[in-house]
Amino acid sequence: MTVARPVLLVEDNELNRDMLARRLKRAGFEVLTACDGQQALDLMTSELPAVVLMDMSLPVLDGWTACRMARQDDRIKHIPIIALTAHALEKDRLKAMDAGCDDYATKPVDFPELLDKIKTLAAQGAQR
Amino acid sequence: MSLRRRLTLSLVTILILYAVNVGTHFWGSYARNESMIAYRNSVTAAQLSTEVEQLLNDQRQQILVLSTLRETTEDQLDGEELIQAEGQLEDIGNKIAMLGKLSHEVTQAHYQKLQQSSAILLAGWLDFYRRYNDPDYKADMDDPLPYLEASQRLKELEQRQAFIAVQRANIIDRTIALTDRITVIGFFASILLTATLGFFLVRYTNRSLKRLKTGTQQIGSGDLDYRIENIDDSGELGDLAEAFNDMSDKLRNAMELVSSARDSADEANAAKSMFLANVSHELRTPLNGIIGYSEMLHDELADDQQVDRGQFQRDLEKITLSGRQLLALINDILDLSKIETGKMGLHKEDFNPGEIMHQACDSLAPLLRDNANELVVTDFGELPCMHSDAAKFRQIFTNLLSNASKFTHGGAITVSARVLEATGQQSQHDHLEITVQDTGIGMTPAQQGRIFDAFVQAEASTSASYGGTGLGLAICRDYCELMGGTIRLKSNAGKGSTFTVLLPIGSASGHAAA
Repeated sequence: MTVARPVLLVEDNELNRDMLARRLKRAGFEVLTACDGQQALDLMTSELPAVVLMDMSLPVLDGWTACRMARQDDRIKHIPIIALTAHALEKDRLKAMDAGCDDYATKPVDFPELLDKIKTLAAQGAQR
Repeated sequence: MSLRRRLTLSLVTILILYAVNVGTHFWGSYARNESMIAYRNSVTAAQLSTEVEQLLNDQRQQILVLSTLRETTEDQLDGEELIQAEGQLEDIGNKIAMLGKLSHEVTQAHYQKLQQSSAILLAGWLDFYRRYNDPDYKADMDDPLPYLEASQRLKELEQRQAFIAVQRANIIDRTIALTDRITVIGFFASILLTATLGFFLVRYTNRSLKRLKTGTQQIGSGDLDYRIENIDDSGELGDLAEAFNDMSDKLRNAMELVSSARDSADEANAAKSMFLANVSHELRTPLNGIIGYSEMLHDELADDQQVDRGQFQRDLEKITLSGRQLLALINDILDLSKIETGKMGLHKEDFNPGEIMHQACDSLAPLLRDNANELVVTDFGELPCMHSDAAKFRQIFTNLLSNASKFTHGGAITVSARVLEATGQQSQHDHLEITVQDTGIGMTPAQQGRIFDAFVQAEASTSASYGGTGLGLAICRDYCELMGGTIRLKSNAGKGSTFTVLLPIGSASGHAAA
């Protein structure tokens, strides 16, 4: 199954960003990439991606703040966001969900599980 | 005054009052007794006097009758009558002697006179009886003088006795009244004094105990600063209050100690928890690369497509790089653990510090490039050879430079080094001074104060934005101290930081070969 709209990958670590982008492309997604929270918000507004994969520890504008801002923006508040972070404690998960993320995945990424989450949320997002 | 002394004093006072009461009571009893004896004596003496007077009168009448009879008749007194008459005279003499026994010293003179006159009278009468039958005896019993004199003396004695009895009775009456008054006054005085003493004792004890009670309640309710003020008791209760205040002090100190120990334990615990979370975060980032690239390459190999060997090799290098990062991180953690347990030693050797610094700058070039920082390096060629731990020197410099790169974006990082000659006063040896200056985010004074502590970063959110475990500077400081040097920090929030390291050059001399 492919998704009509692109997936936005927000990640400041170049190595991880390239790796995940390539894997997502191999899985059949169109992939957009951003390096910080501000870029992510700009791309969400202009490209309206199907799903956002968001690292939380970002320069310029961190992931939590970017999520909150996205949720207050009528144009993009429907776009599902999956938090993608190396912060792996329960309180980190709660913090991400609190900021407005729809789901949460820890690094190192379990790729098949991540694909399931993207597909589920993309389907839900399409219905919103 | 102490409580015991007060109690003893009260008790003694009450006992003395009681003794005074008992004494006056006995004195009164004695006086009454004396009065009774005197009264009884005077009554007896009065009766006796009357009796003697009567007897003297009777005897005189009898003798006057007998004298008349002797002149007019020739009747003789028989032996029996004579004995009877002599017995009567002896009886009178005895009674007068008894009067003498009843008389006091003050009436003794009157009695003596009575005795003399009565002795003459009675002797005359006895002579009359004895010679009554003697026809030659010329009795002259009409002369009333001896009788009158004895009678007069008797009356005088009687009057004197009555006067003395009255006088004595008056004195005794007054004594009784006085002792009664003393008894009553003593009784009421002891009641009053006992009540007063009791009142003051109770009030004093009560006041002190109340203060103690208030203090106990205050301390009990958690007010450890409460102290019992105005301790004016010098005795047991005062001591108790002092001991109580002492106890409060010690309790408060102990509580403060416990509280600060708990606070620092909590702080250390929180720091360790945060450290663990950071370590977990830092371990996961390179692991993500390792696992991700490995899985991806695996998938690509599984595909039927032709593998791009160049790309494949570059991807494998990324796995290796991530693995090295992971290793460096684990080494940092182990190093710090070693330092903390005191097991970190020095491996001294001769080395060229400039060379090591150049190598470190080269290895950090990618990071500098990523954050668009310009590196300004002074010439290290003239630096002398050092005799110290080269690996630790490298790590200190690398940590400082990588920190400067990490917390600076689009700025300049200046590295300089120079030799400080031994001045003899402040330092005994030549030192190498290395300065790493950046134009990055800097730190507030409060952050500067704890930045060298293990597990601490300037802000809890720092690791989120900049990564790192908060171990680098802790390791730098510990290594500097281990090598006999120091590390200093000057920083302005928003303007940048300057770290200055001062390390002894060691025994190696001469300029290092380039």
